[in-house]
Amino acid sequence: MSGGTGDAPSDLIEDYLDRLLVSLSGSPRQVRHTLAEVEAHLRDAVAEGIAAGLPEETAQVQALERIGPVHAVTGRPAGLRPPAALLRRLTLTAALVGGAGFVAIGGAGLVGRLLQVLKGNLFMTTPFPPGTYTRADCARWLAGDPGTRSCVTAMLADHAFDYLLQAAACGLLGLAGLAAFLFLRRRWSDRATATALPAGTAEGLGAALAGVAAVACFGQAVDLETVQRGVGVGEPLSLGIAAAVAAVAFALALRHRQRVARLRAP
Amino acid sequence: MKAEKLKGHLDLLLLSVLSRGPGHGYEVITRLKVRSDGAFQLPEGTVYPALHRLEDAGLLASGWDVVTGRRRRIYHLTPAGEAALAEQAAQWREFSGSMARVLGAPAAPALATAGGMA
Repeated sequence: MSGGTGDAPSDLIEDYLDRLLVSLSGSPRQVRHTLAEVEAHLRDAVAEGIAAGLPEETAQVQALERIGPVHAVTGRPAGLRPPAALLRRLTLTAALVGGAGFVAIGGAGLVGRLLQVLKGNLFMTTPFPPGTYTRADCARWLAGDPGTRSCVTAMLADHAFDYLLQAAACGLLGLAGLAAFLFLRRRWSDRATATALPAGTAEGLGAALAGVAAVACFGQAVDLETVQRGVGVGEPLSLGIAAAVAAVAFALALRHRQRVARLRAP
Repeated sequence: MKAEKLKGHLDLLLLSVLSRGPGHGYEVITRLKVRSDGAFQLPEGTVYPALHRLEDAGLLASGWDVVTGRRRRIYHLTPAGEAALAEQAAQWREFSGSMARVLGAPAAPALATAGGMA
């Protein structure tokens, strides 16, 4: 830093501009532009005061009195965090975490399909106990699987298909959520929205939720493996794998976000 | 004149000042003071959110230029701004004319009676 008076720590104009910088909302470009024009304004006012015979410090005080408090320039009361910015940030967080979560379920469907091919429907899903379904149910399941005469086999195929279909639907919903996130993030790129929640909140929340889901699903898979000798393990196992991948992805994104935040810290 | 009274009319004042030619923020404030003979004094910072709002509304446009050695944002009226100025100025003239007629008229008997009863 140069030792000129413009950069001196006691420069009242610099102090004012520092306070203005952290109070302005809007896109980075809007913030830079407002800061530049207010600085030009203040320097003009100080120059006018000095030209009128005032000492520099008095001219600075007078210029700051004329321009008014920082919130006069920002157009909102000092210290107020706009609820709209917080609402936007929460919406972005929900869209990212929700979207990624549903995409992970879609991914679980792909893993499930692979397991279904490799290990069969009995590995994927648990059949209903005898006596809990009717002849009509059997007829419906058999109609959907004409290649078999076994009600249980047809039931397993139906359940596995339902699981894969629901997972695919969740995946598509998740992609829509992520598209909404990307669209809204471009629209809401202002500083107030970006700082309404601590950096990495969405990534941290996503990592925590996905981690808990992964542990729960793997636990259930292990339980089914030991208690039911592998019957129905496929669903929780595929969900657990997808949740674990999502947790790792969120954790990596969180680490990246924290590194960027450290680099930007004053 | 108090700043609070000016707030409701700031957009019209800024459009009017910039209708005489483009200018940067400090210049706009200086013109406002000169043209009002110093009557319009407001925290100068309040002009910037108003200028930005008018630009967002498409009534002003701005560009950057170096004037007297400093980089400045120069604002000018857009065609939409000129139309808005004409409309708002006409409304203001109608309003101020009506106010002048009311204030300039002698007190109505009914009002005097009401005042006496109070």
